[in-house]
Order: sequence, then C-alpha cells, then structure tokens
Amino acid sequence: MTANVEALFKPLRIRNLVIRNRVMSTSHAPGYGKDGKPQERYQLYHAEKAKGGIGLTMFGGSSSVAHDSPATPWNQVSVVDDSVIPYFQQFADRVHEHGAKLMIQITHMGRRTRWDTDAWLPVIGPSPRREPASRSMPKEMEIEDIRRVVRAFADAARRCKEGGLDGLEISGAHGHLLDQFWSPSANDRVDQYGGSLENRMRFGIEVLTAIREAVGEDFVVGMRMSGDEILKNGLSQQDCLTIASDYATRGLVDFVNVIGGQARDEMSHAVSLPNMSFPVAPFLHLASAIRREADVPVFHAQRIMDVATAARAVAEGHVDMVAMTRAHIADPHIVNKLAAGRADDIRQCVGAGYCIDRIYVGGDALCLQNAATGREATMPHDVRPTTGAKHRVAIIGGGVAGLEAARVCALRGHSVVLFERANETGGQVNLAAKATWREALTGIVRWLDAQVRKLGVDVRIGTDATTEMVRLEKPDIVIVATGGSAWRGDLEGSDLVHTTADVLSGAVNPSGSVLLFDEMGQHNAASVAEVMATRGCLVEMATHDRLIAQEVGTTNQPIHLREMYKLGVMMSPNMELREVSREGNRLVAVLCNTMTGEEEERLVDHVIVECGTLPRDPLYMELKEGSVNHGQIDIPTLLEGKTQPGVKELKSGDYALFRIGDAVAGRNIHAALYDALRLCKDF
Amino acid sequence: MLGRTGLLAAGLVWGAAGALAVSAVPAVRRWRKGRRNPKDMIRGLATVPRRYMVDVHHAVQRRKGAAPMHALVAGGTLAGSVVLAAGVVPALRASRLYWSGAGMFFLAALGGTYLVWKRRNPKKPSYLSGGKFLWLPNAMLAWNLGGALVALVHVTLPEQNSIALVPLVLMAAGGAGLVVQVARGPMRHAFSGVTWLAAHSRPERFGGGRSTDLRPLDLAAPTLGTLIPGDFAWNILASFDACIECGRCEQHCPAFAAGQRLNPKALIQGLALSARGENASAYTGSPAPNAPPTAGQGSMTSAIIGVDAMIHPDTLWACTTCRSCVEQCPMMIEHVDAIVDLRRGQTLMLGEVRPGAADALRRLRDTGESGGRPLSARADGLASENVPVLTQDGETDVLLWLGDGAYELRYARTLRALVKLLRLASVNFAILGEAELDCGDLARRLGDEATFQDLATEVIGTLNSRRFHRIVTADPHALNVLKNEYPVLGGKWEVLHHTTLLDELVSSGRLKLDARDLPAVAYHDPCYLGRYNGEFDAPRRLLAAACKTTVEMEWHGRQSMCCGGGGGNPVSDVDAELRIPDIRMGQASEVGAAIVAVGCPGCTAMLEGVPEPRPEVKDIAELVLEAVVPA
Repeated sequence: MTANVEALFKPLRIRNLVIRNRVMSTSHAPGYGKDGKPQERYQLYHAEKAKGGIGLTMFGGSSSVAHDSPATPWNQVSVVDDSVIPYFQQFADRVHEHGAKLMIQITHMGRRTRWDTDAWLPVIGPSPRREPASRSMPKEMEIEDIRRVVRAFADAARRCKEGGLDGLEISGAHGHLLDQFWSPSANDRVDQYGGSLENRMRFGIEVLTAIREAVGEDFVVGMRMSGDEILKNGLSQQDCLTIASDYATRGLVDFVNVIGGQARDEMSHAVSLPNMSFPVAPFLHLASAIRREADVPVFHAQRIMDVATAARAVAEGHVDMVAMTRAHIADPHIVNKLAAGRADDIRQCVGAGYCIDRIYVGGDALCLQNAATGREATMPHDVRPTTGAKHRVAIIGGGVAGLEAARVCALRGHSVVLFERANETGGQVNLAAKATWREALTGIVRWLDAQVRKLGVDVRIGTDATTEMVRLEKPDIVIVATGGSAWRGDLEGSDLVHTTADVLSGAVNPSGSVLLFDEMGQHNAASVAEVMATRGCLVEMATHDRLIAQEVGTTNQPIHLREMYKLGVMMSPNMELREVSREGNRLVAVLCNTMTGEEEERLVDHVIVECGTLPRDPLYMELKEGSVNHGQIDIPTLLEGKTQPGVKELKSGDYALFRIGDAVAGRNIHAALYDALRLCKDF
Repeated sequence: MLGRTGLLAAGLVWGAAGALAVSAVPAVRRWRKGRRNPKDMIRGLATVPRRYMVDVHHAVQRRKGAAPMHALVAGGTLAGSVVLAAGVVPALRASRLYWSGAGMFFLAALGGTYLVWKRRNPKKPSYLSGGKFLWLPNAMLAWNLGGALVALVHVTLPEQNSIALVPLVLMAAGGAGLVVQVARGPMRHAFSGVTWLAAHSRPERFGGGRSTDLRPLDLAAPTLGTLIPGDFAWNILASFDACIECGRCEQHCPAFAAGQRLNPKALIQGLALSARGENASAYTGSPAPNAPPTAGQGSMTSAIIGVDAMIHPDTLWACTTCRSCVEQCPMMIEHVDAIVDLRRGQTLMLGEVRPGAADALRRLRDTGESGGRPLSARADGLASENVPVLTQDGETDVLLWLGDGAYELRYARTLRALVKLLRLASVNFAILGEAELDCGDLARRLGDEATFQDLATEVIGTLNSRRFHRIVTADPHALNVLKNEYPVLGGKWEVLHHTTLLDELVSSGRLKLDARDLPAVAYHDPCYLGRYNGEFDAPRRLLAAACKTTVEMEWHGRQSMCCGGGGGNPVSDVDAELRIPDIRMGQASEVGAAIVAVGCPGCTAMLEGVPEPRPEVKDIAELVLEAVVPA
C-alpha cells in the first residue's frame, strides 16, 4: 500500500463542519454552467466525485457576485440574485447523498474579465491598470463601488448558505479583485485602500467582515490566495504570509487555499496551472510556509496527481487538505479506489491540460483520457456488465481506441480478443510520448493496458491481423481500431519529405538544417521541432496558421514557445509549403507567405511535415462486405445511447463491424476514447 | 460338571470387572493431584446415560460409520459381559434363552470388533493413532469370540459344556488384554470418559445448550493460569484421559490444516502424557505439524510448555480459539479452555508472549486500544455520516459498539453501510465516540486476564453510565465479550449482532429488500457469531432476502472453518505452511461462490487479504444496503 495513506483518511473539522477525509477538488470553471446556474450536468460532475469518496468538492470557480463581473465568459455561475438558490439546494443534496461536502468560490474578477458580454458594463479595478491576459482597461473603483461590491459579496454569501452549501471561499488568487487590491502591480491608489500593505488589505477585510455578518457563525468561509506572485512589483512570499496570518488572526477566514504564482499573462497562466512539463507539486512549499504562519487549515492544489504525493503532503504537515482537482477529472473515484486497496486501478492524471485548455477557448472541460467526465448523465464511470447476450468481440488495433473498446467490452462481460501489430500496445500515443516533455502521455496507455489485461482480454501483440485470423475467432462483433498513418501531404515533391512520426519513430534521424512544416497546429510539430533542435538541428518551423502551435491550449502553448525560443527554433507563421525539390544532396523548399503571396526558398538538409494522419483501413474494407451492417454505425442510435441495430439482430455466424478512432479520421486521444466508450457501453 | 464352565465364565467377567476397578485407582489418585473442584458425582453419574446417549452420540455419528461401530462394540461387549456376569445366578445358567441372549450380544460385539479392526486396515488413516490401538481388536476379538463360543456351547451342548473351557481360555486372554488397554492404554477413555461426562466443566452444553464464555481468573491466586498439570482442575485432568484419539479435532483444526504448529489431538494427548508422567513417544498419532521437537518429558509437577518440556510453545499461540475442535469432540473435551489456561500461565506468570502480541498488550494497557491509535480516531471512517455520540446526559435506543475494526478503511465501509441502514429504518442510535475502549477480547484470548479485567472494568463503568436500550455491534468478538463475558463482571445488557438487528428490521418490514441477481454468494460463519453465540439463521435469512443465488460451503454453520483471525493468532507471529484464509477462500471457490458474505471485521480483513483471483468479500450489511428498496 502507498505510504502515509492513512493521513488522507483522517477527517477534518472546520467550525461545525466535518470533512470525511483530506482529499478535495478545488473550485474551477468547467464551462458547465447554463444560464449562470449549476444545472444537471454540473451537479452530476461533482456528485460523481462525491460518489467516488472525495471529502470536499468545491465548484463554481470565479462565481460572480456582481453584474460587472459577468458569469458569461466561461459559462460560470452567477450568485447575483436569489434565483440560484434552488439550484444550490439540489446540488448540495446530490453531493451530500454520497457523504461529501460541497463549497463554492465566489468572487469579483475586477479587471480580469470582459466588458463586451451580456450586460456590457465596464470592468472595474483598484486602479486603471490593464491586465495583459484579459486586455480590459478597468475603471478605477470609487468608494461607492467598493461599498457596492462589499455588499454584493455579503449577499452572495447569504445565498450560498441558504442554498445548503457547506461553505465558500472568496478568491484572492489568479488576479481577481481581492488580490488586485493586495498587489502593488494592480493597485496604486493613494486613499485608505492603497499604499501600505495594511491599506491594501483593507478591501478584503471589509468583504470578509460583511460575509461573516451575513452568514453567521455556523458557516465555513475561506479564501484562496497566492503564496508568492513570483512577479516583479507583485506580492512577495513575505507579503502573502503577512496577508494570510493577518486575516487568520483576525478570525476572518476558516481556511486558506494556497496557489503559487498568478495568471496575469500567457506564461504565468501556464505556470499557475502546471502541465506535464513541471515537476510534481511544484508549489507545495508555498502552502507549507503559510501553514506554519497562519493558524487555520491550509488547502492546496497544483499538479498533485498521485496519491503518494497527496499522502505525503498531508502526512508531512504541508497542508491540511490536499486538492487533486485535475486528478479527479481523470478519475473521480480516486478515494474509494485507494480505500479499497485498489490504488493500481486509479486512472492517474497525466497533466495534459486538455481539460483546462478547452475552457479557455470557450469550450467545456473534458478529460483527454476519460471520456465519461462531464458526461455523467450519459457515459458511465463504472461500466456495468450487460444483462443481455454475451458476445465474442474481436478488436483490431491496440492503440487507445482499441484498448478502450476492449476495456469497455470486457467490463460489459463480453469475451474479447485484441490484435496489435506492434510488440506493445499504445499506437500513436507511444510515438507522441517520445517527444521531450510529452513523455507522461505513456500513463494513458499504461493504465488502459493494465486494465485490459486485468479484465482478462486476450491481448495478442506482434500480430498483424488478417481477415482469416479475425474470422477464425468467430466474432459476433468486430471493431477496427487500426489508427492512422502519418500523411506527407499533397505537395509537389512529397516523396522527398518525412513526417514528424518518422522522426519520433526513429525512421529518420535528421541532422543539419531542417524545415518543419505544420498544417495541424497541434503538439505534434511543435514537440518534434523541440526534439530535433535538442539533437542539434538548426530548425525552422513554418505554419500557415497565425501562430506557432495555434491549436495547442493556453497552458501548453507557452511551454512549447518557451522551449523553442530557448532552443533557437526559427518560427515562421503565415507560411505555406508549396514545393520541395532536390538540389545536390540537399533540398530546396518553396514557402509562400499566406498574407502577401510572396514566395521564399530555403536550402535545407531535411524537410519534415506534419499533415495529420490518413486512416489505416484496408482490413476494414475487406471485412465490410461480410458484416451485417456494412461497417456502419447508426448515428441516431449511437447518440440515443442504445445498442446498435447490427448487434441486436445478430444471428449465429454473423458479425457486426464497427470502425473507431483515427481509423475513421485522424483526430485526438479523447475522440478515440469517446468513440470506443460511446459505442461499446451499449453492447 | 453341570454349570461349571458357566459359573467360571461369570467369574471371569467379575474378575475382569474387579481388575478394571483396581486399575482405576491410580487414575483417580492422579486426578486428585489436580486443583480441587468439588463436583456432585452422584448427580453427575445419574446424568451420564443421557449425556452419553444424546450428546456424545450426536457428535459420534457425524463421522460416517462411527456410531454403528461404537454401538456394536461397546454396547455388545458391555451387554454380553453384564449378561454373563449375571450367570452367578444358577437359574439363569440353566436357561438356553439366557445363553442365546449372551451369545447374541457377543456376536454383535464381534461385528463391532470387525469394524474396529477395519478402521485401521488395510491402512491406518492419518488422523487415527497406532500403538496399543493396533492390537485392541485382537483383545476384543478374543473376549467377544470367547464369550460367543461359551454361549454357543451352552446352547447347543449344555451337557458337554466342559468344551467351553477352550473359549474360556480365549476369553481370559482377551480380558487380560482389555484390562491392560483400560489400565495402561487408550481404553482408559471408557472410565475417564464417564467421569468427565459426570463432572464436565460446562454442564450447560448438554442437551444442546451453549457455554462458551471464558471464566474470570482470581488475580489474587498464587498461581495464575496453568504451568504444570497439577494446576488444572481434577476433572480437566480426567477430560484429557477421556480422549480416544479419534482425530476429529485434528481434521477440523484450521491451524493444523495450514501447517501451523498445533494439532489439538496431539495437544490433549501431550497434556495427558504430562499428567501421567509418560514420554511423548507413547503418542502415536499425527504430531503438531512442523513443530520442533521437545524433550517430550513431563510430570504432574513439572512444566508442560517449553522446548525442554512436553509441548512446544508455538503450539499454544497457533490456536485461533475458533472452538471447532470443541464442537467436533465426541467426548466434549474443552480444548480452548485448556489453551487459554496455559496461555494465562505463560503470559501472567512468565511474561512469555510473542513480540507482536506483547506490543499489542502493552498498547492495550497504555492506550486502551490494541493498535495504540487515538480513541478519537475510531469513528473517523464515519465522519461523513454525522453519527451522534452518546454522552452521559443523552439517551438512545441502540448503542452502536464500533470495535477496533472501525479503524480500518475497509471495515469503515461496512459500518457506513450499517449506519445508512439504521437511518433508513429510522432506528435511533448513537456511538460512544472517544469513550469506547477495547473490550478486552484480544487480551483475554492471549491469556492476559489482568489487562482484560482492567479494560472490562472501565468499559462496564462507561456503559453503565450511559442510557440506552441495547447494544449492537458488527464485531462478533466484541459481541461475545459484551454479551457473554461481562455479565459475571457486572455488565448486563441486551447485546445483538448487527445481522440479528437487521434481520429483525427486515422481518418487521422496517427495511424492504428486493433480492438482487448477483453471482452466487456464500456465507462464511464467523466463529464468534456461530459456534460462540449460536447465530446461524439471521445472516442466512438476510442473505436470502438480499441475493437471489446463495450457496453453502461444505464446512458451514457449526462446522464452519475459521478465517484465521481469532484468538490473537494474527499478532502472535505464528509460522505456517499455508495461510488459513487462503484455504477458506479456496473452499468458497470450490462451491462456485463469486461473493463471500461476512459479518466480522476479522474475517473481512483475513479473507480480503487473500490474493486475487478470489471471490469478492462483502459484509452482509453491504449486501443488504444494496438490496434495499427505498420506502
């Protein structure tokens, strides 16, 4: 068993609230809010964590207390009027039913929001200082604004209490109004709210005092804050220690929820939401320092993804509650699995940042490796055995689509055989994981592979399946998940180029000067640029997008850019590769500026392209004719969550054929897993 | 000539009876060296026929063929001999009917003799002993064949009955053999057995009753527990001589099955040999498996336990106190009492406990908790359930006794299920919170009666200061102590196992269940619930109501096999070849069980510790909760 685990199972009492264990999820904004309310999808997402044994789940990251901090931009929760209370009550019941506690974060985002949404109100802040990330220029708050916002916090807090929530935190982290007042980087007021740290703390004191008056003694009120802004002219670690201990000494906060850094620009945003390139628990020391200074329980989240680190953080006394927020997006049942001695079954977060990256482009949070998260109403986290007929299922392809299909089919109780051409499962993910800091992607494959083997799937590696081999299995269901192969694109001279996959697989080992052309804007080209530059190549990365790695999300793209700058990769956006030809033992590449139409030539040793993948589908085409459904997935049935008609009407000797993942069309890991789960859960 | 051989035959029987009576004298003298323990022998002897015919035979007949064998050989020999002895009356000797009757009894005994012989031929089973047993059928044959032939001669040739002198000689030889068997051999069991049945230490057990509580020790006595045979009460010494080495205890002992250094039969024989001052080599059955050799010497006044004594110390700590041997024993010998007495001697007089057990006992004394864990942490696993704590001012219907299983993550899951069920059934309940101490079960089974009595006094004081109607616990070990062992110390309450309460709630309709279509479920009887407390039915009724498919393991109910977790065995660093729970889960798999239902934190921990693949382990409360139909 993992060391120190018992420390996680010690209840924590705060005022009259008893939290059953030390594992929590911090407030975040998954983009599930609807009309400013946490409705069914949002509630089920958190109820699943409660069901999975979590002690405390906090929702509603940046829930707004006032109209000039609109809930619209990230589909957040609005606590500006009483209409939200019934939703809170329903939410609390759903979470309490499973023994967990539920809290919310309420905030005013100050300058860190947009004015051009539903209410079109100007944004406000302590001083008219623009934040790079939001690009909004705030109005300097007048004393009336301050009083109004303090009142708004108190009213919102009352609504939280009436909604049956177990507590709340106000946010003084990530550059919200509270820490805008604290931080000299955003506050240069000369009145009693600016200047000395004592003055800069005043706004928060007023807010917390008003909240306590509104909610009374029997309600937990805490605060999220940074332990060090790591910013020139920002809050130093000493400032943060002072704030935490001052507020705690005044009895204003029941807990402090500590983060490291802030989020005022692209890079600091990426640092405050550390991805897989960061070490584990990079800011635990900041939380630990505050725990020594401030005499209140300390919560902390930031890349604590494994239970060993979580247990250590609590057992060694760094924190009172350890937040495993993204870890619970990957697996909402961490605590129960741990308690049941099934730590090996925990699907560990790999730190891909897919969840958070989606919400910063206005999407909903989804997990790269768990297609059920955020889809609790339709997708099971616990796949249950079928009560209907048990089938023989043959799956061709042991990439993540095939592995997930095998896992789900085996859990349904079917007998499953899985063919994989290579000598290990994992497919394209294994390739992607070979690129420098993307290594942690292997965790996705490792978990799936272990689950599949544990479930007794007959995994045949090193087996290039043929139609005869498939037919010999006498399958009822055949799933083709053969993935895709990298495409060289349709440019002239494509026979002279190699793909990023060739570089990662070792099929080609470029040296000298390399032109890397990217049509996809994803991790693939960016990470291969880093690989080649690290190996000593002189790399120019060109793309017809406006930006390098344009499709990569906001917690990952800055890391790619940082690495490429450090490695001296030349970045050439707005360029299209037109033609490649040979000159002597070198290559001439013709690039065309997409804005001006002007062509430029490069004389290089290698041209590497990233043009996505094409389906590897010959086996599918051969099997199609003999199948009862001609390989077609009935889409209305799929979307309704019912068993495919081909499977329902199977007669002896018949088989139904389905194609999933990149074998259909090149997409990503989540799409491959969702293809598999959505289809196979109803077999 | 008329009647001379007949009279001789009667005289022979009387002579043999006299020899037997004389041979009993040393045994009685020996037993009297044991601790005084006055028994009303007249009343006791009056009960023997019934105790023998009902209780003993009930146990005997559980082994196929054993009851007919015993009835024929013992009944036939005894009846034939008694009839023959009556031949001192001349009128009887003159009656052909009389001789026919005698002949019939001896013929029956001959049949029995054949069955006795057949048990060890052509091959002696491992659970039976050899030695004098090997020529016992010869003596029986000579006596009974002689008797039968004497009778035959008197029926067919009454005029020439001097021919009967030949079988009379045969009979005399057999009689001499039988006297040796009784005086110095295993047949001493006949006389000792009668004595033991008359002076049993737990007379409540006769007639289907139950008596399983350990008796308090007078801590002011000069000797605590047993170090030498003379420390045992006289009737207990008789009980050791009553052992006929049938090996039923050995066949059902979990420690023996796992190759732990205990064979209950060898143990009882070792005790008997010690008391008789004989050498261990006189024992010819299976030894305690893997036990290192001891000096094998003993006497009424020398130590029993020790490498230089009779019984190896490891034997003592391998016992799980499951009472399976006691349940099996046709002579109703109390093995567990003997083991606990010996442990008391080792623990209290010599301080000779195993390091693991010593740690646990020290923590019990220091903290009131065998793991030394804070008492406030016991209910940590129930933090999500907001269970009220019963204070001195409060009152509740059900006081939920959590036990030390509550500290375990796994068992806390069971307790949460139980708490949810109590809520669903609107039961008013509370826990003791920090005021709950260890009930003392572990200390008592390890022989540390002093720590047990300290804990018991404190717990009884706490419980007597609280207002509740009854105590419910999911821990059968706590149930046993609270219900059976506290009353004599001043703690008398109604104490129920959680399955008993849940059964009550289901049958009264306060909980409605809809049986679920699960794969086959087998119920594992916890020793301390089943054999110790006679609760076999409530758990089974609950399972039948909660699960559609249930199966029984071959060993279930009274014959159930221990999980290996009782009696301090797990903390006593016991060497073994196999793990007891592995064997038990194997038995569950054999009958196709996919789920093993349990009702004890010890069983849960032991059985769930078995490596997969194995059936899933679920407490009955968990299965019932899953089957509850919301009201």
